[in-house]
Amino acid sequence: MALTFASIDQTVLDTLKPGGKNYWAMILLVFLGLMGGVACWAYQIFVGIGVAGMNNPIHWGTYLINFVFWVGIAHSGTLISAILHLFRAGWRNPIARAAETMTVFAVCTAGLFPFIHLGRVWMVYYMLPFPNQRTLWPNFQSPLMFDVVAISTYLTVSSLFWYTGMLPDLAIIRDRATGLRKKIFTVLAMGWTGEHEVWRHYIRIYLFFAALATPLVISVHSVVSWDFALGIAPGWHTTIFAPYFVAGAIHSGLAMVLTLMIPLRKIFHYEKIITVKVLEAVAKTIIFTGLIVGYAYATEFFIAWYSHNEVEISVFKWRAVGNYRVGFWIMVTCNTIAPLLFFIKKVRTSLVWLFGISILVNIGMWFERFVIIITSVGHDFIPHAWGLYAPTVIEFGIMIGAFCLFFLLYLLFVKHLPSVSMTEMKETLEEGGGHGG
Amino acid sequence: MKRRTFLKLAGMGSLSFAAGCSDPQKSIYSLVEAPDDMVVGNATWYASTCRECPAGCGILAKNREGRVIKLEGNPLHPINIGTICMRGQAALQALYNPDRIRTPLLKQGGAWRPISFKAAQRLIMSKTGEAAQKGRNRVRMVTDTPGDSIYQLMNGALGRWNSGRAVVFEPFAYESLRKANEDVFSVDRLISYRMEDADVLVAFGADFLETWLSPVEYARKFKEMHAFRNGDKGVFMAVGPYMSLTGANADAWLPCRPGGETAIVLGLIGEALQNGRGTGVRDFVRDIIQRAAEPYSRARVMEVSGLSPSQYDSLKERLFSARRPLVLGTGTGDTGGNSFQTNMAVNLLNAVLDPKLAQFDFESRQRVEMASRRSEILALFAELTEGAADVLMIHNVDPVFQLPPGSGARAAMERDALFVVSFSNFMDDTSRLADLIFPTRMPLESWDEYEGKKGFVSMLQPAIGQLTDAPQIGDVLLNTAFTEDKPAGSYKSYLMARLIQAGLIQDERTWLEALRTGGVTSGSGDSATKWFIPYTVSDAFHSVADPVTQELVFIGMPSIRFFDGRGANRPWLVEIPDPITKVAWQTPLLVHPETVSAKGLEQGDVVKIQSKQGSIEAPVYESETVTPGVLAMSIGQGHGTYGRYAENQGINPVSLFPPDAEPRFGGPRFFIHPVSMHRTGHRTDLAHTDGSRIQHGRKIALSTSLENAQSGQRDPGGGLTMWDFPITLPLPEGYDRKRDFYPVIEYENYRWSMVVDLDRCIGCGACSAGCYAENNLGVVGEKQVLNGREMSWLRVERYHDPEQMEKITFLPMMCQHCDNAPCEAVCPVYAPHHSAEGLNNQIYNRCIGTRFCGQNCPYKVRRFNWFTWQWPKPMHLQLNPDVTVRSKGVMEKCSFCIQRIKAARNAAKNENRQIRDGEIVPACVQTCPTTALVFGNLMDPNSRVRRLVEDARAYQVMGYLNTKPAVIYLKKVVHEI
Repeated sequence: MALTFASIDQTVLDTLKPGGKNYWAMILLVFLGLMGGVACWAYQIFVGIGVAGMNNPIHWGTYLINFVFWVGIAHSGTLISAILHLFRAGWRNPIARAAETMTVFAVCTAGLFPFIHLGRVWMVYYMLPFPNQRTLWPNFQSPLMFDVVAISTYLTVSSLFWYTGMLPDLAIIRDRATGLRKKIFTVLAMGWTGEHEVWRHYIRIYLFFAALATPLVISVHSVVSWDFALGIAPGWHTTIFAPYFVAGAIHSGLAMVLTLMIPLRKIFHYEKIITVKVLEAVAKTIIFTGLIVGYAYATEFFIAWYSHNEVEISVFKWRAVGNYRVGFWIMVTCNTIAPLLFFIKKVRTSLVWLFGISILVNIGMWFERFVIIITSVGHDFIPHAWGLYAPTVIEFGIMIGAFCLFFLLYLLFVKHLPSVSMTEMKETLEEGGGHGG
Repeated sequence: MKRRTFLKLAGMGSLSFAAGCSDPQKSIYSLVEAPDDMVVGNATWYASTCRECPAGCGILAKNREGRVIKLEGNPLHPINIGTICMRGQAALQALYNPDRIRTPLLKQGGAWRPISFKAAQRLIMSKTGEAAQKGRNRVRMVTDTPGDSIYQLMNGALGRWNSGRAVVFEPFAYESLRKANEDVFSVDRLISYRMEDADVLVAFGADFLETWLSPVEYARKFKEMHAFRNGDKGVFMAVGPYMSLTGANADAWLPCRPGGETAIVLGLIGEALQNGRGTGVRDFVRDIIQRAAEPYSRARVMEVSGLSPSQYDSLKERLFSARRPLVLGTGTGDTGGNSFQTNMAVNLLNAVLDPKLAQFDFESRQRVEMASRRSEILALFAELTEGAADVLMIHNVDPVFQLPPGSGARAAMERDALFVVSFSNFMDDTSRLADLIFPTRMPLESWDEYEGKKGFVSMLQPAIGQLTDAPQIGDVLLNTAFTEDKPAGSYKSYLMARLIQAGLIQDERTWLEALRTGGVTSGSGDSATKWFIPYTVSDAFHSVADPVTQELVFIGMPSIRFFDGRGANRPWLVEIPDPITKVAWQTPLLVHPETVSAKGLEQGDVVKIQSKQGSIEAPVYESETVTPGVLAMSIGQGHGTYGRYAENQGINPVSLFPPDAEPRFGGPRFFIHPVSMHRTGHRTDLAHTDGSRIQHGRKIALSTSLENAQSGQRDPGGGLTMWDFPITLPLPEGYDRKRDFYPVIEYENYRWSMVVDLDRCIGCGACSAGCYAENNLGVVGEKQVLNGREMSWLRVERYHDPEQMEKITFLPMMCQHCDNAPCEAVCPVYAPHHSAEGLNNQIYNRCIGTRFCGQNCPYKVRRFNWFTWQWPKPMHLQLNPDVTVRSKGVMEKCSFCIQRIKAARNAAKNENRQIRDGEIVPACVQTCPTTALVFGNLMDPNSRVRRLVEDARAYQVMGYLNTKPAVIYLKKVVHEI
């Protein structure tokens, strides 16, 4: 049976039926995980950041690893919905909504980590440029201030973009809902009437948003990379970091899209909407980003050798053969070698392989951040001060809590808001391409 | 709910939230009636004497609002001239120790019952009275090295109790050295040495930078002869089975077999006589010496000692070409069996090389010479075990810990019939076995005098009001031994009367003057030295034991941190790592890498070492600072009970040593063989603070040859790489358009800077301890040191030379106060702040704890408060009120002692002048025994720092990062030996 407007509506609206026992059990599970993380954080605030494993010289640990990891995840959502929209890549339509949602929630999760990381989180408002008697301002020279601006901008734009794109779908739900649900969706749909004039405005604004969000995809992770690249530590202080981080972010984001889409497709019977072809297209992009990332790894080593800088060489040697070599080789294998399997058609069309490799890339990208953040300062200029680091139970608790927060939000989303854009799917049927413009 | 109510509740809620997050308000009380000499905010300084070891350095105790907060060396004191070691710094932590016993404890039915001081004195009176009636010598007393006055009073009191003199017990009593001095110079004494005059110095184990005789004094004198000055520097060579900090500071450490030193010295004597040296020695004496040296041919020396021919030759060459040679004997302990013979041979060698013995000072003798020999101590305990006395008084010593098991101390103490009074402030291993623990005042709370070295009687006066109600030991004796005919009403008046009687002071005025300056000069000791070569000299050498060739020898090393163990409950001393191993809190076993691999071990493996006496388990630390086959361990830790910082912390090597004394000189052995070493299968993470032992070819701790230093050749400086980057002073002149993007930072009057002369640094760690004391640094404990969270603002980095691992360079590393500081740019809230005088200030209140500064600091000198560190009461009384106590979540680091800079500025401002050079002395600079650190204003063209940075040896650590550090290092100058 071919897709029709009605069947698209029906498939999507079916996902919004009240969840069963399993659904609520999962919600409970991730909620408990989240509460565990919250408890760990509260304990850390009360006792001191020392309950985590950081030390001198490794002042930054899993909190910033997770921060960068989640910011990275947040990237492909906008890439898929904005950049691919501008490029008229039709295959993006079925997954754009889910990917964008992932972006919004991942930014929210990422945004928590700088707070968790702070030694005195109760003083965090010092980072705001509020007028005060002592005329003290934040230091706009600091990459951390760049971060504040970049992340908050990204969160704002991606949330608005996400919401704007959802408007017609919200109206569809409103039209079929009754009771309280109708009232809520009436508010959310913001008086959408479906008139020609409304559509015209909508299409314009969506396009503008896409154009506005596109540079953010590049800039946000570039700014995050400057947290490191503007530092002096060997292994950080390099010009390659911005493109390297952006590629890595998209790499991890695409992998996360696969990780989320494949179960979603199965559970919500989206097989006709999110076709294997779509997943295949994602997999092909992952090959591309994986190769960029691999190239960046190689470049780093080459430049370290080429620089003749003893300190730089020592750090990179240590990465490959030192105490954290396992993390390094996980990173290399998962991020650059595993995606190469997607060259094989059978692999990239097999759901099991797609899912498995996407998980590997996620793990690999987490370790990439581990390797970058831990091994550089752990082995920098003064050998006497070299040190090692291992995360503690509290850090694992917070890490699990963060994953639970993300999945809690996502689980709530898929049952309460349309996880596939009905509007865009219909456009795909009509034109075989993106809407508007 | 009404709108107003809602607002009220919301307001209250946020207020209570805000209040809940900050520390509760603490009350500040002010004194209603302050003592006359107390001005709030101003320090009062009291001169006194350090009693942490028998050397007796002069100290100044800084009193703020009634509490002693810092000890510094007394610049007027002839022994230490203004500096003290880390043990001296940590004396405060004995005073304020949270485990200090506050009231007498009486053991009843196995439990301790607190009693009043009066009751305790009555008990002593009745026990001693009973004992005195039973007969002669029924009361005994064992004390650490006392001053003359208190010793006289002790003996007077013992006389009242119908008993003999008090026994002075020092675990390090230099018996072999005394015996050697007696046999060669006929003085059973510990003389001192004019080390500063020597041009070549050789030590056969004497660890004069750590514990030997008077370490602060000798550290200073050593650098007077050994620091690069006027284009030259003396030579120092150390010979011994293990290196020690002293050996690490030698131009060459020549490893020999334990006990092989004698052969080397005798070999040298033989060659010296052959070379026609020793002409000033009387013929018959020379004959005797020659005969003694005869068996030690060159080949035999090599064979016996394990020295290589080239090492032996270089030693010989340097020593024989010296104009003013000085040879020192064995260290504090006997570490190889021939300690006495070595010391004797060393005395003879000195006489042969320099018959006038110009570097020997027979008059200035060390007070520790009054200590009883170990054999006498053992005899005392043997007698006591047999019931020779009824009362034993123990003052300030811990024989149960310090003597090997089986030496009789424990057996004597455990005898029910012996009433043991321990005049101790701590529940140490000895006090635990006592019947009555009677805490007495500590030296910093007491009136007394002490003449650590003949020629200067150093005063002790209370530098603080009393922390406990404890009386002074002198008052206890006056109250208990004398009833109606007391020699004085109080010990203070007794002391004054005695000093007047001795002619040291005349009246109240001279007494006050002596207190103010720290002491009075006294007459010199008798200097009658006779050449006394009894025929036993040759006998002595007949009995030279062959060096230990057994596979494994276990050696105990006296520790610069704990001395004989008395320092083990001072948290600073436990926290500051050992200078050589950089291990804190634990007692590792030093094993040569060859032995480690031969035994199939790895660093951190816990091994069991078994001797005839017992066994210990300790983690292995691979170290080239011991010879293969030697297992070396620091003495001082492993107390069964001695407060929270010492209890079950580390291991006590003494428990492996033989209990008896060496018959020839009556001293203890600090070594044992055979021992066996077995793996236990456990592993320990070593709490070491270093990340790497070598500097991986980086521009960190540099050295230069003497020739280069003499030529004044500078490093090339035209490039941008690590080795050819120029020195970039943190002044406008250090900026160059080619290298610098940001504008020059201009200063008006001051740009603070420090110069560190690596040629003078001996790595002793006194600076670090001074910093802990001055700046309220937290002590984090073993677990957090393992986590890499020690808080020291100043660490002494120890780097081995990868090509010759036994060559070590020390480098004190603290905040470099960069002009172009990487930490300043990255903080989002400006908590690191560049001051108008170039200081890199850390604003604690502004810090939110992103730790970006710590990440970005290339020197890794920033320390983060991972927790709110604790100062268990009354330790908090030591905190410096001029320095903020940091709480959890903020970054901190060396401030160049900004509180002292502020004080100097205020003083200068009051007098309407500029701050003078040398007026500001940061705590580390103040206490450095070798003046390796100099602080001053780089803007002043005449300041010492300004002149020193012009030195050709000047460089900046990792200067190529263009951080423009304000700490400038001077390269160490090494002899190519």
